[in-house]
Amino acid sequence: MNTDAEIIERSRYGPAAFGELYDRHGPDIYRYAARRAGDFVAEDVMAETFLIAFEGRARFTGAGEAVRPWLFGIATNLLRRHHRAEARTLRALARSGDRADTTAGLLAVERRLDAPGHQAVIAQALRGLAPIDREAILLYVWADLSYQDIATATEVPLGTVRSRINRARRKLRVDLNLTLSDKEVDHGRPATAP
Amino acid sequence: MDDLQLLRETRNDIGTVPPATLARGRERLMRLAQAEATAQSAPLGRTASSTVTRLRIRRGLTLASAAAVFVAGVMVAADVVLPERQPLSAEAAAVLEDAAAATLRTSDPVVLPGQYLKIETKALYGSSSFADGSQMFWHRITADQLYIPADVDDEWVWNREADVPTDAAPDVVKEAARLQPIVDPKSYAALVGVFRAPGGAFGDGEQYTIVGAPKTDTSGLPRDPKKLLDKIYDHTRGAGKDPDLEAFETIIESLRTGIIPADLRAAFYEAAALIPGVEVMDRQATIDGRTGVALGKADPGQAFRQDIIIDPASGLVIGEQTVILKESTGAPAGTIESWTAVHTSVVNSAP
Repeated sequence: MNTDAEIIERSRYGPAAFGELYDRHGPDIYRYAARRAGDFVAEDVMAETFLIAFEGRARFTGAGEAVRPWLFGIATNLLRRHHRAEARTLRALARSGDRADTTAGLLAVERRLDAPGHQAVIAQALRGLAPIDREAILLYVWADLSYQDIATATEVPLGTVRSRINRARRKLRVDLNLTLSDKEVDHGRPATAP
Repeated sequence: MDDLQLLRETRNDIGTVPPATLARGRERLMRLAQAEATAQSAPLGRTASSTVTRLRIRRGLTLASAAAVFVAGVMVAADVVLPERQPLSAEAAAVLEDAAAATLRTSDPVVLPGQYLKIETKALYGSSSFADGSQMFWHRITADQLYIPADVDDEWVWNREADVPTDAAPDVVKEAARLQPIVDPKSYAALVGVFRAPGGAFGDGEQYTIVGAPKTDTSGLPRDPKKLLDKIYDHTRGAGKDPDLEAFETIIESLRTGIIPADLRAAFYEAAALIPGVEVMDRQATIDGRTGVALGKADPGQAFRQDIIIDPASGLVIGEQTVILKESTGAPAGTIESWTAVHTSVVNSAP
């Protein structure tokens, strides 16, 4: 079986070979984009990613394993142009369910995972992240890229990827817990101005 | 289930590509490939596009060979010239030892019943986005104040302020606000404001701000610098590319909380003095209007540097910063990508 890099090499002289890369990675790119910004954007991002990759394939000189992060890097840049669609998706999702009526944080979410409410809470927490931090953590958990792959895809140092993901996780953990428990906080005492 | 697993499950049912959509995308790609194939096979009087393609291929190959030469050069240089690990500079070791001595001389603030230890944190971090095809970089700033009661099992109070875009150039701030509808504080109103929790157990409960030790009890951590550092290396094993940088960052994260007692703080400084590669970056570093000594460690790729800023008189950490050493994400080298300033005091009341 050909590695991704071999497909690119072959496609230099037989451009149609590039279709094999599309078959391998297109569905994953689509899925990642759809989760972030919706189906409409995903179709565009998937198609554009491969057109851009095809045109830039001569500049790709990495190993086979670097092709996937390279493609996700292109998709990530394209998704940045669709930040409004992503914001809309998260906003809609945040409104989609009742606020979780619980006080026990992540454990409670786990128990309620099938309920419609939890996605609203998570979407709300995701909205609160800085875009670069959200991008890093979603490339990690939704696109299944490694830290090194994310560094390749987003063209930043590995240390920066790590600190972005750490920062996102710290904020998410706190925000998820606070959002889930704020009802109790409100209930327990009248709101006090700082 | 942890936070990552939770995120994995989120929108997991979304995004299977419909066969017709997949076919449409392939069709577009194949049209482009076909056009190039036709151009490549044109015998004489090549079209413009085939010339472009050939030039690109040649450039790609040249770059590949240049990269190979460069890598070989570096490997040779590394074998011959560079030592395996850069030792800690004598100057940095002296600063850290002085900070440890100062911190032991400075008694920790005494919090009487009814009073609170107030830890104010102000943080600035970088954000970037593509606008009309070009990349922009700007900063966002946020602040919070944590009030810890004299009896740490009593109720802690935490005020969290909203993030706002900030920068020297007003048009950048304006553009940043336009690009990021989410900076509207109303959109995350639930996360901004005053929160309360007995024993500091905000949300889920256990809060480990210090490696291997709960926020309320740091007595289990060794005060022997070597043992403390070993524990940190154990804790961070496998994370990141450089174990020394990991250890240094872990120490900074712990000190950043502002609640480390003096004896442990001194041990953290002495442990940091054992980490290779830490340098004195600036003896007059300013953070949020205060001046201290900046000690820093660069990542192995020399892309960024992590600094900690210590007040030499009290031995207190007044902040930290990350400095970009190589141009990245639209920010020039030398940009402070993020900083956190910490200020600790004793107050008579909480919000």
